[in-house]
Amino acid sequence: MRRLLVASVLAPSLLIGWTSIGMAGETLDRVMKNKMLVEVTDQAYPPFSYIDDSGEVVGFDVDISKEIAKRLGVGYKVETPSWEIIVAGNWNGRWDICVCSMTPTKERAEVLDFVNEYYSAPANIVVNVDNNDIKSAADLNGKKVGAQAGTTYEKYIQKQLVIEVPGGAAKVDYPFAEATVVPYDSEDTAFQDLALGTGKRLDAIVSGYLTAKERVEKTPDKFKIVGEALYGEPIWVAVDKGDPEWEAKIKEIFKQMAADGTLKAISEKWVGADITSKQ
Amino acid sequence: MSDTSKEETTGVRVTTAPVFPRGATRAFELRVVAVWVTLLVLFVLFFMSFGLKFSFIVDRFPALAGLRLTKDGFIQGAALTLFVCFFSIIASSLLGLISALGRLSSSAVCYGISTFYTSFFRGTPLLVQIFLIYLGLPQLGPVPDAIPAGIIALSLNYGAYLSEIFRAGIMSVPIGQREAGASLGLPNWVVFWTITLPQATRIVIPPTGSQFIAMLKDSSLISVMGVWEIMFLAQSFGRSSYRYIEMLTTAATIYWILSICFEIIQSRLEVKFGKGYSKTR
Repeated sequence: MRRLLVASVLAPSLLIGWTSIGMAGETLDRVMKNKMLVEVTDQAYPPFSYIDDSGEVVGFDVDISKEIAKRLGVGYKVETPSWEIIVAGNWNGRWDICVCSMTPTKERAEVLDFVNEYYSAPANIVVNVDNNDIKSAADLNGKKVGAQAGTTYEKYIQKQLVIEVPGGAAKVDYPFAEATVVPYDSEDTAFQDLALGTGKRLDAIVSGYLTAKERVEKTPDKFKIVGEALYGEPIWVAVDKGDPEWEAKIKEIFKQMAADGTLKAISEKWVGADITSKQ
Repeated sequence: MSDTSKEETTGVRVTTAPVFPRGATRAFELRVVAVWVTLLVLFVLFFMSFGLKFSFIVDRFPALAGLRLTKDGFIQGAALTLFVCFFSIIASSLLGLISALGRLSSSAVCYGISTFYTSFFRGTPLLVQIFLIYLGLPQLGPVPDAIPAGIIALSLNYGAYLSEIFRAGIMSVPIGQREAGASLGLPNWVVFWTITLPQATRIVIPPTGSQFIAMLKDSSLISVMGVWEIMFLAQSFGRSSYRYIEMLTTAATIYWILSICFEIIQSRLEVKFGKGYSKTR
């Protein structure tokens, strides 16, 4: 019996010793105490975050968060779990900040706090080069349209997109009556299906302009971007809920980075243009 | 030929080296090798037809195969996959054994816990279990890191499958063996440890080996937590440079080679534990 008692006390404490305990509302304290900013971002979203040839996570978003760590005077670490895990919230102290090209939505705002907008990304339609029917969003009516699951592009095709920005929702127009959304785990599969030809598996894809542009430039014989931007996607910095001091600190750092031209320089380095938002 | 193929399909060969059927002639062995080589060449030609960019594969192969450390100095790729599998194999074997004993026990509590455990972990997808442990456990207090969470999930899942295999193995040992031990006045645990278990081990090695090969590949599911194992790297490199097929074929090849190594280990163990049953000795 005594042995059982010892075991029952020992087992959970071992488990706790092995892991780290999260404490809500103390992100800033944790960052300063551990002297480490832990960023969470997507594993493959070039040019914002991706693993380069030397095996390092790099990109627009990574440079910004590295700069934040530098200005806080702490070390920097990046982790790349799947997107669903990032947007599920409840980080429990695993990660401190997500400079990860996230668009605020109503559902996401329930589990994460959005701190500030740092750039704006247009969403566009991509079609196969052989397609001459789809010229704008109005032509999406009755078509099979692919998008990465869990993204705003998927919500847009379903006509359910609500862009929740603190201080009111941005208006989104839907010029088509109904389109069939085909959700994909990764955009690569969607683009591979679109490359098979119009109507084979997909008629079009809704995707971010910046990533779509890079893909079209790499394979101009397969894809083209058509029509105007469907909506401007505001991209915000996200943090776990419940630490206003941390959010104030991030806002302050972004103001500095905008004022001294750091944001602009990072944007031009990775995207070739200044797409950053006013701080 | 029909005899040998029959023996192939039954899948249980516990006495001799498992590469060729028992009593195979030299000519038969040569023909099998010829078939393998032909199929392999056809397979390679099939992949060549995709128009793969080999320089891309060569650049990233060291990372995928685990020959290079990450920037932070941690293992990655195949090395990390094997690291995770190593601990999961140990933990799942222990869990499987304990659970099998629980299932065979006369205590209602042990029986209940054991059957509940196997039912839940065999009855739900591994991916769901991974998410439950990684995202659900923090709600209770402890916040597991990605790699421990992956090892816990794989161990619990495979422990449940192994439990049934081990139970079958233990039950396959004739009751007379235990009775003989008891009649010598040996305590129960000595009978189990020195008489029942070694005989059961011989029976459970082939199905257990299959489970570990399956685990090797299922460990790719822990990539969702951002663990830099083979599949994670293949997807990251593939996605960000639009060279998905290159990376997937490379990952497939590495998994296949690792599986073959597991198969070889399994056949060695079969020979070792099958010694007493070999007709040739």
